[in-house]
Amino acid sequence: MSIVFPPKPPVLPVDPGRTQQPAMVKLNNGIPVYMIEAGTEDVMRIDFTFDAGQAQEYLPLLASTTNTMLTEGSLHYSSSELNKILDFHGAFYNLYAEKDRAGFTIFFINRYIEKILELAGEIAIQPLFHEAELKALMKKRLQLYLVNREKVNNLAMEHFFESIFGNHHPYGRQIVPEDFENMNPPLLKDFHAANYTPGKLAIIISGKIHMRTLDLLNRHFGENFASDVYIEESLNFLKESKNRRNHIKKPGAVQTAVRIGCPTINKCHPDYPGLKILNVILGGYFNSRLMKNIREDKGLTYGVHSMVSSLILSGFNIISTEVSKKSTQKAVDEIYFEIERLQNEPVEKEELEIVRNYMLGEMVRMFDGPFALAESFRSVWEFGLDTSYYDRLIKKIRTITPDEITTLAGTYYNIENLHEIKAG
Amino acid sequence: MIDYSRYTLDNGLRVLVHEDRSTPLVAMNILYYAGSRDEEPGLTGLAHLFEHLMFGGTARIPDFDRHLLLAGGENNAFTNTDITDYYVTLPAENIETVFWLESDRMNLLDFSQRNLDIQKKVIIEEFNQRYLNQPYGDAMLLLRPLVYKIHPYRWPTIGMDISHIMNADQEKVREFFFSHYTPNNSILTLTGNITCGRGISLSEKWFGKIEKRAVKSKTFPSEPVQTEARVLTVEREVPADALYMAWHTGPRTSDDFYTLDLLTDILSGGESGRLYTKLVRQKKLFSEINAYVTSDIDPGLIILYGKLMKDVDIRHAEESVYEVIDTLKHSCSPRREMEKVRNRYESSNVFTNTNILNKAMNLAFFELIGNPGLINNEVDIYKKIDSMMVTEAARKYLDPSNCSTLYYKSAGKRQK
Repeated sequence: MSIVFPPKPPVLPVDPGRTQQPAMVKLNNGIPVYMIEAGTEDVMRIDFTFDAGQAQEYLPLLASTTNTMLTEGSLHYSSSELNKILDFHGAFYNLYAEKDRAGFTIFFINRYIEKILELAGEIAIQPLFHEAELKALMKKRLQLYLVNREKVNNLAMEHFFESIFGNHHPYGRQIVPEDFENMNPPLLKDFHAANYTPGKLAIIISGKIHMRTLDLLNRHFGENFASDVYIEESLNFLKESKNRRNHIKKPGAVQTAVRIGCPTINKCHPDYPGLKILNVILGGYFNSRLMKNIREDKGLTYGVHSMVSSLILSGFNIISTEVSKKSTQKAVDEIYFEIERLQNEPVEKEELEIVRNYMLGEMVRMFDGPFALAESFRSVWEFGLDTSYYDRLIKKIRTITPDEITTLAGTYYNIENLHEIKAG
Repeated sequence: MIDYSRYTLDNGLRVLVHEDRSTPLVAMNILYYAGSRDEEPGLTGLAHLFEHLMFGGTARIPDFDRHLLLAGGENNAFTNTDITDYYVTLPAENIETVFWLESDRMNLLDFSQRNLDIQKKVIIEEFNQRYLNQPYGDAMLLLRPLVYKIHPYRWPTIGMDISHIMNADQEKVREFFFSHYTPNNSILTLTGNITCGRGISLSEKWFGKIEKRAVKSKTFPSEPVQTEARVLTVEREVPADALYMAWHTGPRTSDDFYTLDLLTDILSGGESGRLYTKLVRQKKLFSEINAYVTSDIDPGLIILYGKLMKDVDIRHAEESVYEVIDTLKHSCSPRREMEKVRNRYESSNVFTNTNILNKAMNLAFFELIGNPGLINNEVDIYKKIDSMMVTEAARKYLDPSNCSTLYYKSAGKRQK
């Protein structure tokens, strides 16, 4: 059975190359259009992204409901007509309402561009917010909400956000069933008029860009679409909860969901690239310390992950896992143990080398193909950054030292600052 | 058009390479023709357990992940009823590292007791997390044994009972490896920034010396024809009732597969699907509803599932589903609707193939079912399907006597 294999092949350094800033042109009314020309198929992806996320809402659900209602009927098309036509042309769309931004991304085959962009204009600018459609939608969404509340994951996540951002800001506010009754067409129309405006819109295009794209965008978005000026005064404020520990009881749950983390810096801060690297070591990839310890060494969980995420007004780091009830404390202890180890012991050269190469490989994947490029661009653009952020990140991946990592762990994972939320 | 070269090594390993110069990456996919179907009824979940063990290293290279990560790679795997599939993407310049790693673990895995013990615990947590601790998470676990009485599709990939995993010992694991993880029972596909010549010569270099081994024969009891409706009712702590229905169909390789794929798309594809339009939008009986046809090697299923709106009687909901289905049986689908579902297929096919990993997986699967050319030709098959064929397929398969139905009821809400 013993066969002689060739010797281990050499490993070459991974080079993600330099990132390219997409070309930008403005429509007649000033809407910026970013163009990423890439790919081999005759298809496009267009992201219509508005500064219309939850951060803009003064009532829970306002941003997400306005967004979901975009495809529920417009000036010239009923909701079923809109969907029939989009389906007929094989177009796929995602509506999204995130903490900061909202809008929709549409994927289509280039030969249908004319119809697709006409409908995109209808969806973004001319929705009607019919009462009957709204009522039906709220019923469905309430039901979905009730199902999600049964998941310990969701429960823990919502309480975590409330704990780190407070209930006076949409970043942290929890939804209650009564919120679903508060939505009505005038509220949504008002939110739409104030937030789905040319001044709050950017269009990000990627794929094999059709030659008529800009003409058509000007026709449907660049004319007769102007901003009324709304003066906004936000009463929302971020405030961490004083009580950093909470256990939401869910009788009968087989596992307990754990979330540990705190508010932190976002992408605009010079320490952020280093923090990203620290996060990978801790729990950001399959070979992370948390995975090795809690899953691969002790078998306590199917998965344990950590993440650092950026929002416009803040950022947060979070460690998440699901464990059996009897092992919950053990897993939590091990999470703190791993954080302290990063604060006290410099990372070995070999481990750091693995993380460097893995992350450089990830960067290659993040820039591979038109859709990945568009995502990567959007996630720096929304913070007012350009793709030079990635050049800084790549440089930091190559040069970070074990001592820097120890310092970052001490600064950004101070155990006294961490919130610990459990559900189960 | 996806061009590819196909080559078979002396030991039976089939290699397919598709070059795509638009990416700096290469994807490697290795499909082992072993899934939960190949398990003994008393030891289910073994194929999936084995997938976990494959990352535990070998005597020669104890740390698979470390080397792959050093080469900038990312990998994962999945197990289903028919196959276990391992895949990697990494920068093209380091592709040989994956050859080194994958050929080593195909040749001989290390079966350490410690690795086995840990992965059993991990899988129990996986079972808890994915099936037991999710609302409706056990629905498919309940549906399978209702639908299949003797065929091994009657148990799920995670295992029929978690005790089976607990009882798996070194010897059983070793036996599973030697009878399934062989070059002559697997397919290697490479897509991305690599020439066909290099892909094939590297395959020869790294996999060529691995010995051919005897593969356990695939003779499974064929499922008897179902002749009367089957029903199972359960109550669970969930906020709303849910309805699950499954009808027997043919295998992935039968011509009907494509017709049924379009049929289920007419029923539930996109927001304009008939079930969504009639039962969610118009009648407001369901909050969501979906239908699809499975891609199983042995005769598979059409599965339909939906969550009911509050206070809707589940039998009424079921009857309404059949009303929609009956319309399809009695009148031909309009031309524009047929064109819509064909366009939707074409579009999703184009988008799927913008990704090298999808191309690698699809090529491997098409090779498995005997026709890699399908990666380019399926579009033409779909184009030939007309509304008569859809109507006939609806009549042939979507009969109540061919259906297994699961009423998944919200506890505390008694039947009226």
